[in-house]
Amino acid sequence: MPRDSGEGAGARWRSPASHAFGQHIGLILAAAILLVAIIIFSVMFVIQQHRLPGNFEITSTVNNTMPLALAAIGQTIVVLTRGIDLSVGGVIDLTNALAAILLRPNLGNQLAVSVIIILIGAAGGLINGLLVGLGRLQPIVVTLATLSIYQGLAIRVLPQPGGAVPPGYTGFLVNPNAPTALVFLLIAIVLWLGLRRTRLGVDIFAIGADEQAAIALGVRTVRTKIIAYTLAGALYAIAGLFLAATATAGDATTGDSYTLTSIVAIVLGGVSFFGGRGSAIGAIAGAFIITMIVNILFFAKINPLYQAFYEGLFLVIAVVLGALIGRLVRARR
Amino acid sequence: MNNLVRLFTTRDVLRVYAAYGAAILLFIIGALVHPGFASLPSVTTILLISSFIGMVAAGQCFVVLIGGIDLSVPWVLNAAAILLATASLGQNGRALYAILLTLGMGGLAGLANGIFVVWFEVPAVVMTLAMNGIVEGLTLGLSSGMTCGACASYAPPIVQQAVHGVFLGIPTALWLWLVIIIIVSFALSFTRFGRATYAIGNNPRAAFLAGVNVNLTTVALYVLSGVFSALAGILLVGFGGQASLGMGDPYLFQSIAAVVIGGVSILGGSGLYVGAAAGAISLTALVSVLLALNMPEYGRSIIYGLVILALLLLYGREERQ
Repeated sequence: MPRDSGEGAGARWRSPASHAFGQHIGLILAAAILLVAIIIFSVMFVIQQHRLPGNFEITSTVNNTMPLALAAIGQTIVVLTRGIDLSVGGVIDLTNALAAILLRPNLGNQLAVSVIIILIGAAGGLINGLLVGLGRLQPIVVTLATLSIYQGLAIRVLPQPGGAVPPGYTGFLVNPNAPTALVFLLIAIVLWLGLRRTRLGVDIFAIGADEQAAIALGVRTVRTKIIAYTLAGALYAIAGLFLAATATAGDATTGDSYTLTSIVAIVLGGVSFFGGRGSAIGAIAGAFIITMIVNILFFAKINPLYQAFYEGLFLVIAVVLGALIGRLVRARR
Repeated sequence: MNNLVRLFTTRDVLRVYAAYGAAILLFIIGALVHPGFASLPSVTTILLISSFIGMVAAGQCFVVLIGGIDLSVPWVLNAAAILLATASLGQNGRALYAILLTLGMGGLAGLANGIFVVWFEVPAVVMTLAMNGIVEGLTLGLSSGMTCGACASYAPPIVQQAVHGVFLGIPTALWLWLVIIIIVSFALSFTRFGRATYAIGNNPRAAFLAGVNVNLTTVALYVLSGVFSALAGILLVGFGGQASLGMGDPYLFQSIAAVVIGGVSILGGSGLYVGAAAGAISLTALVSVLLALNMPEYGRSIIYGLVILALLLLYGREERQ
């Protein structure tokens, strides 16, 4: 049962540090979980390999996490408006398949194809946004339906896994020799911090926190929702490009898993499912937590067949822990 | 008389008519494009396949009526199918034990969903998603990826007969579905439990103030959803003979689609299970028509989505604020 966050009523003066702590508790928790995961991984790595994780381990972790991190940022924007986007997997399937058949070794082609694919992703998001915003339909069923449509289109584009991604393209997006892909995440974080301060960013948070109040304050909710879903679609397309670059080929079904993992990532990243709370930085942290969990399970020599079990278990533990700590922090203030 | 007319023309009931109308329309289209589509054996087969979706949709309908959702359907169903085969070892003598064990497993998964949704306030989407992963990991791990000795077991003959058997010219699985439709509809429309379900879906706080045990009812509904997923798994393994990995995957989309096509509000509080049953039939008929047209997989996937969107636009819209 959704309940009030308990803020506002009887608010008293708090020190800026205390206020920031309360506002960012989800993010702080995500960072803490990530840190613990990295420490556990490093200890296991040192015990088994007799050295610290080096450039190779960091690079492959970053490169493997890129598609999920980008998809999770898109999911965050939608969930902040109190929506949910299940079409993530379909958009990534479609854009990944398109990238594999359209990309050629020359730079002009790569630039044009990338832009076109991002626009196609944005168009997919726009359709979701129009149906949710103008159509006043429930996000969960709309995106379930469009998921099916986008998956179908992806298989039409690339019936069998194949195609090829030029090595130059792969080298630019996911350099196998150094974690340069972190630059793209840094750009994403800077853009996010900028967006957060624009009218659009504030409107997105306002809709998620209290849609009626947002309407009363003159927020154009329909327009804002449409833009939010469109932005998310563009981000999924970029995730599809990164996925194609990492795999150096296309597959119209590899994107499917991102619907679930993007949701898991944002929950681990402290984004509230009830809207209005969360950040792209948390989503990125959540994506890295998932990769670290997989790495840890690998080094703990746990049968990979049990992977889904541990992911589900950690998800529940993280959510319950997050809610408990959040309540404790708010109760004490 | 006037009251009686009103009873059969409420918005919920009109949506049920629409769902059955869609099913009949699809059968007519099918008969036009493919002679023999509307023949008795063909219709029986379509209804039989619908019944599996219909069982899952019963559980999904319960949780959607309170504004929840059950995303753990695919692997609870798959685990049930595997558990039934491995626990019974294909022997009739072990069938009852295996069935009870399997239904218990489904109920347990639902119980955990309900407990965490109610007392730990985990959003239903997140909790049932996590449960899907938990059951998936356990199933794959414990069966060593379906390579265990007992994994190749067939369903006990008695379970296979329960699906394929015929009573009064109609497959026994369809009789079972009919009984379930009657029981679920009765429970939702004429019992305290049903009224509590609709009350929670409309306004949990008001339901609580009216004396409804919101927490217990919510948990019970999630348990039922788990049990129905498990039941569908049992029938599917009885239908196909053996269990396989991934056999539950289509049922998440189909159960939610059936519920939506049947006119159950995804926000909760309104809708009837007979509608969801019609939704399951429409969905199966649609797939069958597309198959009769030799539509490739991608086309079916696209049309699936478009049909759901069209129906949503027709009657799934939120009231304008």
